[in-house]
Amino acid sequence: MAQRKVNVPEAGQWPDKLAVPALAAGAALTTAGFLMAFLFAAPVNGAALDAPELVGGVMVSHQQLLSQKIFYFHMPVAIVSFIALAFGAYYGVRFLTTREQRFDTCSRVAMEIALLFVVFTMITGDLWTRFEWGVWWTWEPRLTTYLILMLIVIAYFVMRNAVDDPERRATYASVISVIALVDVPICFMITRLIPSSVHPVITREGGMAPDMAATVVVIMLGMMLVGYGLYRLRFREARLAERVQALKEQMED
Amino acid sequence: MGRPSTFTQYKTLLAKDIRQEFRTREMLTSMGIYALLVIIVYGAALALTANGIDVMKMGGGLLWVLIVFTSLLGLGRSFAHEKEQGCMEGILLVPLDRSVVFLAKATANILFMLAVEVIAVPLFYFFFMSGEPVAPTFLAIVAPLVVGTVGMAGIGTMLSTITMNTRSRDVMLAVLFIPLIYPLLYACVTATTAAIAGTEFWMDFFVMPLVLACGYDVVMLLVCWVLYDFVVGA
Repeated sequence: MAQRKVNVPEAGQWPDKLAVPALAAGAALTTAGFLMAFLFAAPVNGAALDAPELVGGVMVSHQQLLSQKIFYFHMPVAIVSFIALAFGAYYGVRFLTTREQRFDTCSRVAMEIALLFVVFTMITGDLWTRFEWGVWWTWEPRLTTYLILMLIVIAYFVMRNAVDDPERRATYASVISVIALVDVPICFMITRLIPSSVHPVITREGGMAPDMAATVVVIMLGMMLVGYGLYRLRFREARLAERVQALKEQMED
Repeated sequence: MGRPSTFTQYKTLLAKDIRQEFRTREMLTSMGIYALLVIIVYGAALALTANGIDVMKMGGGLLWVLIVFTSLLGLGRSFAHEKEQGCMEGILLVPLDRSVVFLAKATANILFMLAVEVIAVPLFYFFFMSGEPVAPTFLAIVAPLVVGTVGMAGIGTMLSTITMNTRSRDVMLAVLFIPLIYPLLYACVTATTAAIAGTEFWMDFFVMPLVLACGYDVVMLLVCWVLYDFVVGA
């Protein structure tokens, strides 16, 4: 009987207490960042909004100066999606080395958070593409590799659904989460490797003004906290469900 | 009698796949006929436009579409015999390093895919490009074809081992395979098109993509090689 008790998945450790405060703090910070993006951060290079301006040798309209605000959300969300994918792969490796179901759940939840933020990145990026480049989609290297990243994350969940045996599903999912991570550095570096890429790179555009950088940092922190809060809440829910399942099976025996 | 060396194990496993193929001729005939059928579908798709557009510039892309779908068909079948006849259990009972299984299977897949390409590429040339003068660099397409085939066979062997045990395995293989080979495909299509159509910027459009494709091959093959042990034992 004592042997049995060990097998019941544990749940409700101390980090669960941090989840809701982290989510609240993240919501407050992203809201603050949203207001900062419009009220505090000046348009690029201090351009005025009442007439078209010359920015970096290109005539820029008002609409483009306003759609630049999307950047303040787009980049932090994309960075958080990369971080979530890195955690997914990290827990995947932990699962493969320890064979503990707990790490598979960690990896799965991290991939779910990654999918959420990848979708946010695609939405914000697509709005930006529409207003800045005038098209809904273009086969630009960064956009293409990021779309591929999204398809891999979706394939990860499709694959999970197609395997019945839990142990085998966890192993395959961990392997895919590690392979998916290979695309992250490619996606990150592609704008630097391929010169024809028109996707902006901050360091190439001459860095950020202090007010822009402050706004990005606030939103980045907020998004990371939101990501962590969601991860922990979802993990708690998934873990409790596993625990209930295990207890039920124990009762039946 | 001593334990056979790793290289002997590799040779034995590879010889088994090749012998089986020579006896059944299943993979090569199905992949070859499928490749021919794709070319015929291209014929219909391009029937009205083939004279109006520059086929040379599209040739590289079309050729790779042909290769991707043909190899998808072959890779999906590559573990079918092992699964159906219980051969996989036998192989796994032998005390050998599991990555040898991966290397032998990947090599067999590379050989089958290259054999199909040897038939399909001249056919493609015959049907779509023989009417126009080709660039003097045409024969350089061998390099991206080999690099792309190696990477696709490596990733595909890994994925077909995974999908062997899933429901609706052919769809699953495509869903996983196409996103994961995409960077490789992109680089190989660029290099192939540069070789077919000829370009002034040989470094940018042929050498650089080929180097990136080789890098992707190395990284992916290493990752698959390391992880294969977990996958095949699950």
